[in-house]
Amino acid sequence: MKLPLIAKAFLLEIGFYLFLKLGMPLITSPLPSSVIFMYMALVTISILLYVSIFEDDFNQFYVPIVDFIRGDENEGIGRKMSRTALFILIPLFVGFRSYQSVKPNFNPPFPNRVIHPAPPGSAAGFMNPYEGEVAHREEYIQEGRDIFYQNCVFCHGDKLDGNGLFADALNVKPANFADPTTISMLQESFVFWRVKTGGIGLPEESTPWDSAMPRWELILSEEERWKAIMFLYDYTGYKPRTWELDAGE
Amino acid sequence: MQVNKLENKNTKKIIFGLFGIFLLISGLGPNLYADETEEASPQKQEDNLPSDDLAAGKIIYEKRCISCHGNEGDGDGPAADRFEPKPRSFKKAEFKYRSTPRNELPTDEDLFRAVTNGLPGTGMPDWADVLNEKKRRQVIKYIKTFSDKWEKQKEKPQVITVGEPIPTSAESIERGQKQFTALGCTLCHGTEGRGDGPTSLVLRNHRGDPVFPRNLNKNWLFRGGGDAKDIYKRVNTGLNGTPMPSFADKLDNEKSWDLANYVRSLSPPVKPERGSLIKPLKIEEAVPTDPEDPLWAEAASSWFPMMGQISFEERLFTPTVTDITVQSIYNEKEIGFKLIWDDRSHSKASKPSAKMKTYTDQVAIQFPEKLQPGGVKKPYFIMGDEKLGVNLWNWRSEDKHVFETNANGILNGEIEQEKSDLSGEGIFKNGQYQVVIKRSLQTADKEKDIQFEVGEFYPIAFFAMDGTNGEVGTKRSITPWYFVLMEPETPKSVYIFPPIVVLLVFGMEFVLVKILKKNRKASGSS
Repeated sequence: MKLPLIAKAFLLEIGFYLFLKLGMPLITSPLPSSVIFMYMALVTISILLYVSIFEDDFNQFYVPIVDFIRGDENEGIGRKMSRTALFILIPLFVGFRSYQSVKPNFNPPFPNRVIHPAPPGSAAGFMNPYEGEVAHREEYIQEGRDIFYQNCVFCHGDKLDGNGLFADALNVKPANFADPTTISMLQESFVFWRVKTGGIGLPEESTPWDSAMPRWELILSEEERWKAIMFLYDYTGYKPRTWELDAGE
Repeated sequence: MQVNKLENKNTKKIIFGLFGIFLLISGLGPNLYADETEEASPQKQEDNLPSDDLAAGKIIYEKRCISCHGNEGDGDGPAADRFEPKPRSFKKAEFKYRSTPRNELPTDEDLFRAVTNGLPGTGMPDWADVLNEKKRRQVIKYIKTFSDKWEKQKEKPQVITVGEPIPTSAESIERGQKQFTALGCTLCHGTEGRGDGPTSLVLRNHRGDPVFPRNLNKNWLFRGGGDAKDIYKRVNTGLNGTPMPSFADKLDNEKSWDLANYVRSLSPPVKPERGSLIKPLKIEEAVPTDPEDPLWAEAASSWFPMMGQISFEERLFTPTVTDITVQSIYNEKEIGFKLIWDDRSHSKASKPSAKMKTYTDQVAIQFPEKLQPGGVKKPYFIMGDEKLGVNLWNWRSEDKHVFETNANGILNGEIEQEKSDLSGEGIFKNGQYQVVIKRSLQTADKEKDIQFEVGEFYPIAFFAMDGTNGEVGTKRSITPWYFVLMEPETPKSVYIFPPIVVLLVFGMEFVLVKILKKNRKASGSS
């Protein structure tokens, strides 16, 4: 049996929506609803364009709709009921949406937090003093490990995954060093600056008042901080990001 | 006619093709871009491990476990001193969470469970995402080499079996409660199970260190699991190396389940969700200062987990106050907050000569001294900073005293206000504090006191100190900033506008049908 045009259009809309909503997450990350809305608008426009190019198609599409809306004296009870239901549901739905939009909505002021801000000039050019000392490297990493497990583990976690014992209590979650987008995307100098000046040393766009990252320069010596950073890279196996050295190597 | 049909089809194909291409391009665009940035190296794992299980387990142990459990498995790694409870000593091989009778070694499955799920509320994480099953089994094999108890073990101990479950019910819980008292559980765990029994402060473990009975009101922190079935096992196995005995000889299956059902019922059905926005209840009468006033039952509760203050010396690594529950009530003139938190003892400051120093218990609500324009900028969450000060509403247990302070950074100390508008009351009962602090919405001191208006978001944070745990000064439990909002009344227009819209849409439908019917008549008659 040949499907009427309007049913085809309807199925196409549903199919496309399901594909975007359920199919796409299988291939890539789930689409935001605004993107789905955009695609659905495109699909709707193309369907309307398709059916309105030729008059016979358009009539096929348009006449059943008009017939349904205006009704007929000798139509069945089912059709009459569904029309009445639709005519009641549409205004109610629009009314509900308008209630949702005029109802006062209380959302706390939400800062657009920059996670890796541009460091101030003073943060550039920190050099690891142990960089060249290959012979003692393992020793420094061991010391860094002890420093990490005595100071950092409570928030950044035994697995360095930012899920330490205290992590649940924080609003700004501790950095996950095991994640490939943290320390491997940052220069050593930047990491050192973050450790040295802590949360309170962040610029305002990074909401310094919310970060529990201690200002480690008050607690750990410069040497201890460098050793702890060497441990982070060693444990996770990541390499700090470099600019100058790339060219030299 | 033929030609026309053909053209019709081709045009359709072309238009569709174009749309398809357009969709493809717009869909692929962001993905092509994303591919460029998502080039990341995987985390370093234990790869190319030797085929010998023990050798492999040693490598895993030395990377993942050594920092807490120590070089020799003594439980004395560099992190050990700063955790409570301390990491297990594999040399002593006293394991708390087992399925075997008291003083027996655990089964491999018991150890596997601890490594896989971790021990909630301790430094021991769940390793399942980092170590696959084979690696977890290898490391377990290795840790058993630290003690010769495993070799000396003649035969495998009988595993405690969990019998036919008795589903929880009011009757079962009531029977369990009777057991709880009859077996003497209250001596350590307290009347309401908050770990505040009369012996709770003097218990020692096998090392001679203080050990504290579990607060049974927070089952998400039960190390061996918080389900009734886990509790069933605990009461039948006891905890080796601690004063917690096994009750296996006093409990049959039914009694075990009753007791487990009762203990489970002390905790909420699910772990509370972390709050974010406190919405005070609006009332007409005066805000009650009595924490047991029935009006408080009507106010919504927000639950906030707490952590030790470890950003400034001296640091608190082992806090005992792990969370706080907050309610709020306001009227035209004043606003009050009720703070509820568990503490196993009502602490007093010790004499200067005392060996174990104790201090008063204390709690504080923190606000910024002033709201910043835009409402985003705040003082530093740990007692403010040099530029932006905080206003603190405090209560201390020792003399049940409410007092108000200001601070500009935790290291710069607190300054007590000479004349404060605060008032409040606090009680301590069965291992729990309930404290109410209230104040007028507006005060005369606009510089040092936060001023409240309906409809504004106010940052709010909390501190708690357990004096018996040596908490004083910078050593305290803290929370980050949250918000409190007194909701303005809903404007009347909210209830007028939507019905108008409904009527309008309905009217439009009516007109549409009329027009269509008219058209039909017109076309029918023509």
